Amino acid sequence: MSGKAWYSVAVSKIWLFFNSLKLTLGVLLTLAIVSILGTVVEQNKTAGEYVSAYGEGWTNFIMAASLNDLFHSWWFIALLGALSLNIIVCTFERFPPKWKSLLNHKPDNFDSKIIDRFTTKQTFSLDQSASAVRERVFKAFRKKRFAIIEVPSSNGEHHFYAWKGRIGRLGSDATHISLLLILLGAIVGSFAGYKGFDAVFVGTEMSVKNEDFKLRLDKFWIDYYDTGQIRQYNSVLTVVEDGRDVLTKQIWVNEPLYYKGVRFYQSSYGNAWNRLAEAQLQVKNTKSGLVGEPFKISWKTDKPEPIPGTKYSARLIGYSADFAYDERSNTVFSKSAEANNPAVNLEIYDGEKVISAPWVFLNYPGIFPAIPGADEDLLFVGYRGIMYSGLSINKDPGTNIVWAGTIVMGIGFILAFFVYYRRIWIVVKETGNSSEVRIGGMINKNQFAFDKDMKDVTDLIKSE
Amino acid sequence: MILSLVFFTFSFVFYFLSALLYIGHWVFKKKWIGQFATAMSFVALMSTTMILIARAGESGHAPFSNLFESMVLFIWATNAGYLLMEFKHKIKAIGAVVMTIETLAMLAASMLPYRFKSVEPLNPALQSKWHWMQDLLTPFGLEKYAIGWLDFHVFATFIGYAGFAISFGLSILYLVKYMTESKGGKSFMDVLPESKVIDELSYRAIAWGFPFLGVGIVSGAVWANYAWGTYWSWDPKETWSLITWFIYAAYLHARVTRGWKGKRAAYLSIAGFLAVLFLYWGVSFILPGLHAYA
Repeated sequence: MSGKAWYSVAVSKIWLFFNSLKLTLGVLLTLAIVSILGTVVEQNKTAGEYVSAYGEGWTNFIMAASLNDLFHSWWFIALLGALSLNIIVCTFERFPPKWKSLLNHKPDNFDSKIIDRFTTKQTFSLDQSASAVRERVFKAFRKKRFAIIEVPSSNGEHHFYAWKGRIGRLGSDATHISLLLILLGAIVGSFAGYKGFDAVFVGTEMSVKNEDFKLRLDKFWIDYYDTGQIRQYNSVLTVVEDGRDVLTKQIWVNEPLYYKGVRFYQSSYGNAWNRLAEAQLQVKNTKSGLVGEPFKISWKTDKPEPIPGTKYSARLIGYSADFAYDERSNTVFSKSAEANNPAVNLEIYDGEKVISAPWVFLNYPGIFPAIPGADEDLLFVGYRGIMYSGLSINKDPGTNIVWAGTIVMGIGFILAFFVYYRRIWIVVKETGNSSEVRIGGMINKNQFAFDKDMKDVTDLIKSE
Repeated sequence: MILSLVFFTFSFVFYFLSALLYIGHWVFKKKWIGQFATAMSFVALMSTTMILIARAGESGHAPFSNLFESMVLFIWATNAGYLLMEFKHKIKAIGAVVMTIETLAMLAASMLPYRFKSVEPLNPALQSKWHWMQDLLTPFGLEKYAIGWLDFHVFATFIGYAGFAISFGLSILYLVKYMTESKGGKSFMDVLPESKVIDELSYRAIAWGFPFLGVGIVSGAVWANYAWGTYWSWDPKETWSLITWFIYAAYLHARVTRGWKGKRAAYLSIAGFLAVLFLYWGVSFILPGLHAYA
């Protein structure tokens, strides 16, 4: 144990474990393979559905291994975590020295033998003095946009070192950091943000959870193509803060409203099941059977509206699209959002006094008399509904981190895949009337580009 | 008769001819056949471009919204990528394989059931023009030509697919060439460049495909978050795109840092392209999800 504390040994062992490319390859390929399982086994089904598809034995296995919710299972998250740790450790190991050498670039210990070790190299002679060749070398490399320096040598040779695309070395680090940023942004979003859903009716306001502003739906409509297919769902929303309208915006699928860090997305729509714009009624004389002209009554008016041909007036105070009655709580509710059994709740006034509050049914006229003890009954014959707009609500403080990540990723990709780091060593040795030039080097990727560089540069030196 | 389908028929013929010409060039080793082959694949590229333009005119949006249209985009990108490579590296023998892949892709596209082919208007979820671009184009009355997330996302992804397709063709060539090289003697494969060169070209194609698929995936996630409030929902297309990306990430890491070249790299590239095929076709036909339209 060489005197080191056990935890320092453990930490360095763990560090070493995560600083490994074998781990990277292993985790990447494992993730690829297990993800296939996650697309083959349908996710988030009930146990019954798995039993009918795979039988009982396999279902037990699927449940035990969390294959039914694979992408959120602890072991899948652990694999992603291992990959992230792997990236973090590798970046810590590799990035700082690269950054240092980038700021302070010099070839350490120019050894002219180094050229022999490269696969891409050339040797040729020119009938010129070394100092003339030196000029040519400088000119050639500068023309090809290389940086070049002369390295002092002690044995009478001239040593040069040229490089290009140094910044490209940072590409892999930038790409890795960007992946971490995107992951971080997603994690921040999932912990510090929230997702919700709310329905807002046309002409009404809704309060937004945890926020001090409200949202009003001014309008909802659907656009159609000429062929009858749906083109777009639109809502006009107004932000109301302290009783004032501060912002009005038309949203549609792909175009959310953004206010104070919260996004509102168009996500569904429908007819309200518990309110109406107006109801259409008729008066029926139960004795003579005569039915009067239809009249309209609006939703929750301040004052009752007169019922034509009678001494009564009425307010429209309730609606149920699919009427149902709960005996225990003595309340009316709607079984579904569909207008299967529409019914309106009226308040009947005789002068100032409420004399009854009947439910009147569209499908069952006259089933319960609306006005007790009178000769007149009310028929519910039609209505104009109210649309609601279903809004997904999302607060995601991680979005900006993700955006930063995507920008870093773009830069990283460009540096990593389209900027190549090339290094070339040149030795010029004067021998009598001529000079021998030895030139060799390497590139971090794209051998083709390097072969071309070498050809171009040597041609330039020779032909100048 | 719909104009885009006329161009499609012509393109089909052009791809078939250019595949034949490249093979002819390979067999008879005549220079003029090779030049003719390159010219023919260029004509095919122009004709494919016309399919896309005509299609955009017919549907009123960028032609990236169903399987048929995306196949044409794939064929276009693969052809463009191949011609760039041929021009840069002056290697023709590979055209025989790439143009055969193109012809097969045309055949597959032409055999698609009608519901994958018809000109459809964009559904609400796919309408996503960039406002800044619309604002920029409005003074010139060109705002309807603004592009958006859909166009960017699909285009980037398909450049990626094209790179992988080319790499796949090259990997197969590599394996065949490597076998004949190790046997020695004269062979039908002598026209091909050295296996080392094919291997490096295959890597170059992946070095194009990988970042573009990455941009495609990330732009899809950013778009999803912008449009629906969720980056990632593990729908089969998303999952398979990640699987594919992981395979090629493994390829790049193994190659750059552990020196995996040659045979092992070729096998990994082939595995990667099989994943691409499943990502592109398998998921669309077998696994339902958000990307049901293409």
